[in-house]
Amino acid sequence: MNQLKDFFDSERKRIFEPDAFFTQRVISRLNEESKEGIADFRIWEALLSSTRPVLTFALVLILCFIGIAFFVPQLPQRGMVESFLAPEQNPAESFLYNDTDVPSRPIVLEQLIVLEEQQ
Amino acid sequence: MEFDRELIVRAQAGDRSAHEAIVNQFSAMVFRLISRFFRMREDVEDIAQDVFLKVFARIDQVHPDENFPGWLARVTVNTCYDELRKTRRRKEAMETYGPELAAEQTVAPREPDSLGKARLALQRLDPKLRIPLVLKEVEDMSVEEIAKTMGLTQTNVKVRLFRARKKLQTMLGGTEGHSQ
Repeated sequence: MNQLKDFFDSERKRIFEPDAFFTQRVISRLNEESKEGIADFRIWEALLSSTRPVLTFALVLILCFIGIAFFVPQLPQRGMVESFLAPEQNPAESFLYNDTDVPSRPIVLEQLIVLEEQQ
Repeated sequence: MEFDRELIVRAQAGDRSAHEAIVNQFSAMVFRLISRFFRMREDVEDIAQDVFLKVFARIDQVHPDENFPGWLARVTVNTCYDELRKTRRRKEAMETYGPELAAEQTVAPREPDSLGKARLALQRLDPKLRIPLVLKEVEDMSVEEIAKTMGLTQTNVKVRLFRARKKLQTMLGGTEGHSQ
C-alpha cells in the first residue's frame, strides 16, 4: 500500500491554478447564456421540436378559417322570393311560412288568439 | 473561508460585479477540487466554467446564511461525477465499438511505474467509489464533510471508502502479479 500512499502524496502537489483571464471568460459565457436564456423563454422555444410542425399546421388552419370568415360577405337570412313576398304576408303567415323573424312567445300567442277570434 | 454574504444577495439581484467577485474568490478552490479528478488543464478549465455557470443559474436557491463554500464544493463534486461518468461511458463505448488500436501499435507501450499503476487503478474505479476516496486521501476531508459534499449518509461514505480501498488493493495486487 506504500505505492498508494506515495501516489496520494504526489496527487496533493498536482494542482491547477486559474489564469488571470478565467473570471472574464466565465462572465462572458454568463452574458451569452443569459441572452440565450431570454430567447429560450419565448413560447415557441418552450415547445417540443417534434410538436412544432403539428402546431404550425393547426395555427395556419385557424388563421385560414378566420380569414375566410372575415372576407367572405355574410349571406342574407332570407332569399329573393321571400323578400319579394314579405310585404304581402301578415304576421301569422310570416310566422307559418318563414321561421326567420320569429317573434317572442307572448306575441305569437296573442297573434294566434287574434286569428282564432277572427275566424 | 471568510465570505461576504452580501455578495450572494447582490449576485441574486443580477449584479455582474458580485458574480466576478465570487469567481475571483472561489476559482482557486474549484480548480483545486477539479484537479483531483482530471489531469488535463483544458478539462479542468472547462469544468470550472461549467460549475460557475451552474452556480449562477441556481443562485436564487442559495440562502445568504447558508454555507456557500460547502454548497459550491457540492456542485463542483457533482459536476466532476457527471463528467467522470460520461468519460467512462465514452471509454467503454470506444473499447467496445471503436477501432482496434492495439493492432495498429508498432511500438510496445512503456510499462507504467508504481505511481502510474496506482493512477491507472484509480482511473478504473467507478466514480462513485473514486470520488469519496480521493476526497478522503488527497483532500483530507472527514467522513462527515464527504457525506455533506456528496449528499450521502456517513455510513454510505464509509462503505464506499471500504469498497474503494479493497478494489484498489485487488487491482494493484493483480497488476503487480501480472507484470512480474
